[in-house]
Amino acid sequence: MHVVVCVKQIPDPAEPGKLEGDLTLDRSGKLILDESDSYGVEMALQLVDKAGGGEVTLVSMAPNNENSGLRTALAMGAAKAILISDPLLSGAGALDTAKVLAAAIKSAEPDLVLTATESSDGYTGTVPEQIAALLGLPSITFAKEVHIDGQSVNVRRQTEDGYDEVTCSLPAVVSVTAGVVEPRYPSFKGIMAAKSKPVEEQTVVGLGLDPARVGVAGAGQEIVAVEDAPVREAGEIIVDDGEAFTNIVSFLDGLKLI
Amino acid sequence: MPATSPPTGRWGDPVEAVEVTAIGLAPNVSPSGATTSPQGDDMFEWSEEQLMIRDAVRQFVQTEIAPKREELEHGDLPPYEILRKLFATFGMDVMARDRFKHQIEREKRVAAGEEAAPAAPVRRGGGDPNSIAMTMLPIIEICRHSPGMVTAMGVSMGLTSAAIMSKGTIAQKERWALDLLTLDKVGAWAITEPGSGSDAFGSMRSSARRDGDEYLLNGSKTFITNGPHADTIVFICKLDEGNPMEDRKIVSFVLDRGMPGLEQSKPLRKMGMHSSPTGELFLTDVRVGRDRLIGETEDVASGGRAGAKDTFSMERSGVAAMSLGIIERCLELSVQYAKDRVQFGKPIGEFQLIQDKLARMEVARLNVQNLVFRFIEMSAAGAPLSLAEASAMKLYAARAATEVAMEAVQLHGGNGYMAEYQVEQLARDAKVLQIYAGTDEIQITHIAKDLLRR
Repeated sequence: MHVVVCVKQIPDPAEPGKLEGDLTLDRSGKLILDESDSYGVEMALQLVDKAGGGEVTLVSMAPNNENSGLRTALAMGAAKAILISDPLLSGAGALDTAKVLAAAIKSAEPDLVLTATESSDGYTGTVPEQIAALLGLPSITFAKEVHIDGQSVNVRRQTEDGYDEVTCSLPAVVSVTAGVVEPRYPSFKGIMAAKSKPVEEQTVVGLGLDPARVGVAGAGQEIVAVEDAPVREAGEIIVDDGEAFTNIVSFLDGLKLI
Repeated sequence: MPATSPPTGRWGDPVEAVEVTAIGLAPNVSPSGATTSPQGDDMFEWSEEQLMIRDAVRQFVQTEIAPKREELEHGDLPPYEILRKLFATFGMDVMARDRFKHQIEREKRVAAGEEAAPAAPVRRGGGDPNSIAMTMLPIIEICRHSPGMVTAMGVSMGLTSAAIMSKGTIAQKERWALDLLTLDKVGAWAITEPGSGSDAFGSMRSSARRDGDEYLLNGSKTFITNGPHADTIVFICKLDEGNPMEDRKIVSFVLDRGMPGLEQSKPLRKMGMHSSPTGELFLTDVRVGRDRLIGETEDVASGGRAGAKDTFSMERSGVAAMSLGIIERCLELSVQYAKDRVQFGKPIGEFQLIQDKLARMEVARLNVQNLVFRFIEMSAAGAPLSLAEASAMKLYAARAATEVAMEAVQLHGGNGYMAEYQVEQLARDAKVLQIYAGTDEIQITHIAKDLLRR
């Protein structure tokens, strides 16, 4: 069982973020493993364990050959990583990121590809399906449970009301919802071993991609302005005259929660 | 507490003839005696791997320990299950098992004459700063929230197991030490008595009397870390052969919880370290066989003295790591409070008297961190600290932790005196660092003796 997990390395959300001159996020410092990807790593490790053999390969795209976040996932137990780092990728959007990741995934020939549903910095939530489309693979989103059954994958897919059960053939791309598994802490032994695990460094040309179709050149988008999020407005204050519950009921009804 | 007789430390104490290794710290002597350090001699910050360990443990502490502070501090929640989870989470139990197996196999080969005994003690982690850092970092990180847990852990897997590992037979090590090293069982190391503190052996009253092939043990012990919960107890006493008290040999026995005649008290109430249960032990004609006499001989080589210096060094450096955790946390909380707390129309951090406190705390943090780094470097280079150096390190670090924690309370004002603010707990916890593992006064004696001997 060979599982590829797409992991994003992001600026530490605990630090105040900075913008570059072109209004993209400053990613020049140390990057950490996006927490939303730690669930995919954990699920992949569990699936490989259950299968009784195989390995987990990480695929990541990051500037400056940054691999701090990858080391965290390697310390958790992933066997190796492919890191695509290329100045040509500066300013990349969701689609060209998907192209790069898809090319790297293809070279790894996995049985299953796991991703998060969305990254914690970009939040487009589109990359998993783009990867699947580019690779011509079936895709299942918002997985809360993943089971491998021979040559197919069975997924319980989170919905607003509960879950759908979906089955498709392997290989496939599955995006994993945050919080569905408990990501393990890396053991001390795992941390020490992580440094010597192989990280294959790749470039745009090395993956056989056209430089004109990635990065700023291929993003097909331009960031024209960045504004602060609007300040949240004060909530409505209801004075309870004994009938306040009716206001609460109609409020919840308006949200279609009851 | 009478000033003339400070209590013996739970982690062991200033008594020179006892060989102990604290909190699982092992001196880092290279098997080959090599003095090279892969990290070089320029450790001024934690390495990438060490930071990963620190961050992982910090996250564990935030998730598993910090939310239980109230129960640990005021609810008598024993720390052992959380510590076992820590061990299992980071594979520390597996590592301890592997090391133990390796050591016992070697000792068996030596005993069978298949291998020559090592000329000098071969210790783990030789030449590798990460190995020693792997022990120091959890101590530092746990102490940011719960120094008592480190005390409980250190006495069990450090002092108690070391007493058996250093002088016990192979059978005794297999019977008791492994379970202590993995924290599967809780250990206590019982030396202090109501009337014997720093002068532990001179004033010791606990006794072992021969009775046929067996011994009858009697005595009272107090201030015993893990005493209320211990599964395995190393009981240190004098062999009563009818000779004068001062001529009696010191012997140690391993006891199991529940043995007839052994009573373990409830936890004692104390100033700090509430997450470390401390109690009394009462022995009334506890009958034991020779298999429980450590080393199975009454003539324990007094070689203890030389070995003790080595292990005291480890214990005292452990206190420095504990101090660093307390100082780091107090400073962090104080800086934040100085920014947030507004008085006279501005944050109190803008007042020079507050700045003075913060600056002094930072100086202490830098100094203690440098001492810890130096210890790691020296251990990795196969050059353990001398006893006097370790004493100096412990003396400085313990005082610094207490001073920083008390200043943190002062800086927080009325809030700092309230249990809600963590500095109140850390100030109570820090104080014992000046008392156990050898009081400040005893450290000073060791330092001065060494200076005057030169």
